[in-house]
Amino acid sequence: MSELLVKNAYVIDPVNGINGEVMDIAIRDQWIVEEVGSGAMVIDAKGQLTLPGGIDSHTHICGTKVNFGRYMSPEDMRAGRMPRRGSMHATSGYSVPTTYGNTYRYSTMGYTTLLEGAMAPLEARHTHEEFTHTPLQDTMANTLFDGNWAIMEAVRDGDMRRVAAITAWTLSAVKGFAIKLTNPGGTEAWGWGEDVTCIHDQIPHFEVTPAEIITAMITANEMLNLPHSVHLHCNNLGKPGNYTCTLDTFDLARDLNKNRQTLYATHVQFHSYGGSSWKDICSKSEEITRSLNSKPHIVFDMGQVLFGRTTTMTADGPMEFNLYRLHHNKWSNHDVELETGAGIIPVLYRRSNLVNSIMWAIGLELALLTDDPWQCCLSTDSPNGAPFVRYPEIIAMLMSRRYREEEMSSVHPGTEHRVPLPAIDRELDWEEIAIMTRAAQAKALGLIDIGKGHLAPGAEADIAIYPIQIRDVDPSVDYMKVKEAFATTAYTIKRGRVVARQGDCVVDGINSTIWVDPQVPPEYDISNDPEFVKKFDRYYTVRMRNYPVQDVYLERQVCLRPEVSL
Amino acid sequence: MMRVLLEVKPRKKPLLPIEAECITPASFLEERDLTVWKGNRELMLSNVFNVSVTGEVDSVDGVEVVLRGETSRIKRVGEYMEGGRIIIEDDIGMHCGNFMSGGRIEVHGNAAAWLGREMRGGEIICHGDAGDYCASGYRGEKRGMRGGRVEVCGNAGDFAGEHLSGGSLIIHGDAGDFPGVEMRGGEIMIFGDCTRACGNMTGGRCHVFGTVHEMLPTFRNMGEVVHEDTGQVLTAFRGDVANRGKGNLFVGNYQYME
Repeated sequence: MSELLVKNAYVIDPVNGINGEVMDIAIRDQWIVEEVGSGAMVIDAKGQLTLPGGIDSHTHICGTKVNFGRYMSPEDMRAGRMPRRGSMHATSGYSVPTTYGNTYRYSTMGYTTLLEGAMAPLEARHTHEEFTHTPLQDTMANTLFDGNWAIMEAVRDGDMRRVAAITAWTLSAVKGFAIKLTNPGGTEAWGWGEDVTCIHDQIPHFEVTPAEIITAMITANEMLNLPHSVHLHCNNLGKPGNYTCTLDTFDLARDLNKNRQTLYATHVQFHSYGGSSWKDICSKSEEITRSLNSKPHIVFDMGQVLFGRTTTMTADGPMEFNLYRLHHNKWSNHDVELETGAGIIPVLYRRSNLVNSIMWAIGLELALLTDDPWQCCLSTDSPNGAPFVRYPEIIAMLMSRRYREEEMSSVHPGTEHRVPLPAIDRELDWEEIAIMTRAAQAKALGLIDIGKGHLAPGAEADIAIYPIQIRDVDPSVDYMKVKEAFATTAYTIKRGRVVARQGDCVVDGINSTIWVDPQVPPEYDISNDPEFVKKFDRYYTVRMRNYPVQDVYLERQVCLRPEVSL
Repeated sequence: MMRVLLEVKPRKKPLLPIEAECITPASFLEERDLTVWKGNRELMLSNVFNVSVTGEVDSVDGVEVVLRGETSRIKRVGEYMEGGRIIIEDDIGMHCGNFMSGGRIEVHGNAAAWLGREMRGGEIICHGDAGDYCASGYRGEKRGMRGGRVEVCGNAGDFAGEHLSGGSLIIHGDAGDFPGVEMRGGEIMIFGDCTRACGNMTGGRCHVFGTVHEMLPTFRNMGEVVHEDTGQVLTAFRGDVANRGKGNLFVGNYQYME
């Protein structure tokens, strides 16, 4: 038994309604408890800002797609090179770092839980292997169902129970956490040389539309009582005028769950463009946030773009092809049989580029125009908008109008006529930042019940202590201090142990993967369904018995077993 | 003028490479300890070289660094060099003149791979042969040499001038496979033979005065021209059509692959 006492912590814990109280936090083993004995190790937080460990609800850190990004961009490995030091492995890479690069950088920023944004079921082993080498965070994987043949056939037949049964079996087999739809149907259409422009286009050979897939998966998600909602990357990403498609998509979601949202829309910045071409593209963040403010059952993440070099990677193959045609740089395209696909290209977002500047503004606008911070998660869709190491810049910009104005003065001069950002006065406060970087994520992912995202007794002892006395700092003026503080914690505590201290990771750590195994009655076990088995054997290049990910791929695991209502 | 003589001390394992990016003329203007790496061990420069410095100057342009002895495994000499001279009396290891933007490097022996990689300016003269990837871009990089001049008096290896986007690369002997592949600017002159010249080129000019073996079929034959300086009749090609390229390739003789 180990005991730890964090004294004099200036705590903001939005889940428990604590907003700036100096208090002590007692930890026994991996849990927060009411009190500890006098022999406990003591950390004096000295009144510094203390938050629950950060949670990233949409990032790309592990798996085949990320690894493809690594080996198609060896030049990226020139940056971020750190030699082996203490218990830290050597690292390299900036936008697609090595797994240890990811885990150390996240840990020194106070992040303790990460959701990999997209895992192709067939290639799940790779994701889990890389999770094992991401030892300082707990991880989960969104599982891609956007072009799943069996599911599209069940949707076409209107058999929601079958959709739920296939989803349950797949999630359980690949040890995934949630349903991810990336450009639903679009990547499958792209496999046939076609594309979908919005939610009512037919997908070739399957006679279903993206809207039908989205609606069916939301229904199946609620039937399976999954901790997270459907995690949706809308159709038509990155195209001028796509905001109407996004609004139509939001209209599909009904409020079906009283504990959390029914739909999580990811990287909404990329889906909030007005105009009819690149020449007249403009921000439609006001229309998008107006819709979101009236739909508390939708939660979203920003997908903020920041200027500089990065790598874009997504299961949205056709979108990456469009990007390739703009950039004419390297491009990777990948098909995952019967399930999904992927595309990757490196990009450079430039201040001098009008489109890039508008994208930058839209991300901030979405966060600033959303009334309820519990609906908005801070993200860059790392590394698509920018690598996650730049989150502190976003935090500082959201807290300081002056900082935004300074940045605005250096972007393309045409930007201010096409975005509402210059007219937005709002500056977020510390509590709102705490919500948007951990509490909202914990709630949206359904992790509060397993002790994530808060600091009450019974919670897991994941804590970030940032070197800043917030009572002495005015973030609207001292935004550089804010940025600096959020870049490197004084202490990051993971599962009751100090894992990072002032920028150094001090332990090897051990990853824990959270996954779901819906408790489906035997009559709905799709692996016994003759039709499903026959098609699996006919079309997949793997045998069904070899498909599930074995336990050996997960070093440590937390399996959630929701009771289903089929 | 300041003259720095670096004489390699006898080494028990002379094949082990030494990373010596600190060897630039500017380094010797400053009063600081210089270190090199052998594997994961950092060594003082004086552990590897006998160092003798004569003369004093204020400007880097007055510094001449001479490398003497077995230097064929000394890597990254002249990296980011901005001025002055480096004279290498024998062979030199990989990555000599990486990213250099000014000054001059003279190699009296052979140079290993990546000579003048991604250089921006200045001049490199190699009196012997150069290895693969001379004046090219490193793995994943879109642009190789952007400016300056590299002259190889002997032969060059494969992929000479890959991703070249500026400056000039002159090879007096033969070049290997794929010289000027992916080039987008700048100029290459090859006085000997080569194979598969300029695949995927989108811009720039390449002259091959000898024979291009396995000539790529994706270049449009524009007819014969007379080279102004040499008076030699060359066949002009434009391409690489496969990449919508608008590069100019002039060859003395060419043979398509059978």
